[in-house]
Amino acid sequence: MDIDDILREVDPTFHAIPQEKQDLQDLTRAWIAERSAPELLPWPADGLFERINGNIKAQIEKVEEMTGDMDPRTNFALIVIQTELERYKYLVRSYLRARIAKIDRHTLHYLSTDNLRSRLSEMELAYATRHQALLHNHYLSSFLSSFPPQLQNLNDAAGINMVEAPDLDAAVFIRLLKDIFVEGRGVDSDVTMDGRESDIVILRWSDAKPLVEAGSAELV
Amino acid sequence: MPMYGDLGNKLALHAKRTQNLVHLPPYQAELVRAVTREVRDLDKEVAKLLEPFQGSFDPAADQATACTLLVDHLSMRRNKRCLLAYHRTRTDKLEEHVWNGVDVLDLAAQQAGNPNGGGVGAGDGGVASSLSPQEEDYVRQYGDLLAAYKGQWTDIDLTGSLEPPRDLFIDVRVLKDAGEIQTEYGAINLTKNSQFYVRQGDVERLIAQGYLQKLG
Repeated sequence: MDIDDILREVDPTFHAIPQEKQDLQDLTRAWIAERSAPELLPWPADGLFERINGNIKAQIEKVEEMTGDMDPRTNFALIVIQTELERYKYLVRSYLRARIAKIDRHTLHYLSTDNLRSRLSEMELAYATRHQALLHNHYLSSFLSSFPPQLQNLNDAAGINMVEAPDLDAAVFIRLLKDIFVEGRGVDSDVTMDGRESDIVILRWSDAKPLVEAGSAELV
Repeated sequence: MPMYGDLGNKLALHAKRTQNLVHLPPYQAELVRAVTREVRDLDKEVAKLLEPFQGSFDPAADQATACTLLVDHLSMRRNKRCLLAYHRTRTDKLEEHVWNGVDVLDLAAQQAGNPNGGGVGAGDGGVASSLSPQEEDYVRQYGDLLAAYKGQWTDIDLTGSLEPPRDLFIDVRVLKDAGEIQTEYGAINLTKNSQFYVRQGDVERLIAQGYLQKLG
């Protein structure tokens, strides 16, 4: 043991979780949250997906390198790595598909304000814009173009608003990450409770959202 | 005389039925045209009713006309919603096929050529394709859009299985001759009724397209 090792041991960043592991954890969290939340959640902004793509590429290269090796031990390691890789890819795929499904369902809603648009990644924004244009075009060529001009809009607000939005009052399960006071609106009466860490509660998303955003709770 | 909205209601029912079908039933071109015509007729009637007032119509003074206008107005919007719902239900279905890698245009042509052949949607025995020409265009364009989006995630295969992967290798049975495929363990010749132990990632597309069946 030399001086570098001793220094490394007292360096707090040395024992921190390695970036790759942290990324996988973040991805898993984002995936669970996205699948549970009734509305689209913001796209992770800190370059998480650039890193994830990098990790996947690196593993694929590794697999290709190891394939040439005939040693049975490498072969076993190869299977472990490939299985892990498939799972990692599944997480990303499932996450992206969950988002696309939400975007497709309420495209006009997510494109309607800058605030909502900022939740989409650049690629998703391009996809949503183009998809909406295709749909509109399809409606136009199928029937809408023979309508009177004042009826050709897709966002009539008179009477009932035509643009559908996700149901923010849908129920979600959250796990509390610290002791916190929880308020929930009910059908007949509102409920409040002193939540303890790791309690699991069912709440309307609109009530749970502030807790999740503040990091006091996570979706399960 | 049919009531306003009867036709629109029919469309909505068609849409509802479509949701539970595997294949798309034939496009109701005639019905769509009729509903659109009804909207145009209603719009003309509204214009005619309003004409004598020269833009200074007071609903309180002439309640009967006001009521007619309101009904006309609501019927038009209702028809529009029915048309939108009908088309959206169908495009949703078409998009689902595109995601699953089903060649919709090919499928539609097959159904058209073989009205008794298995397809639920071909039950009406129509000779023409079950898609409207506009829908065929839409499928093509959406396919391009999806390909473009997928192309940005080349390593992920976005249209791959949404089942969490359990095993790297799976047993498959060949349902239809699919020719030879290349895997990292060499070439496999997929002839009907043969069985293989292969890497799931290599054959996912073929399973989705119905060439292979996953066993176990």
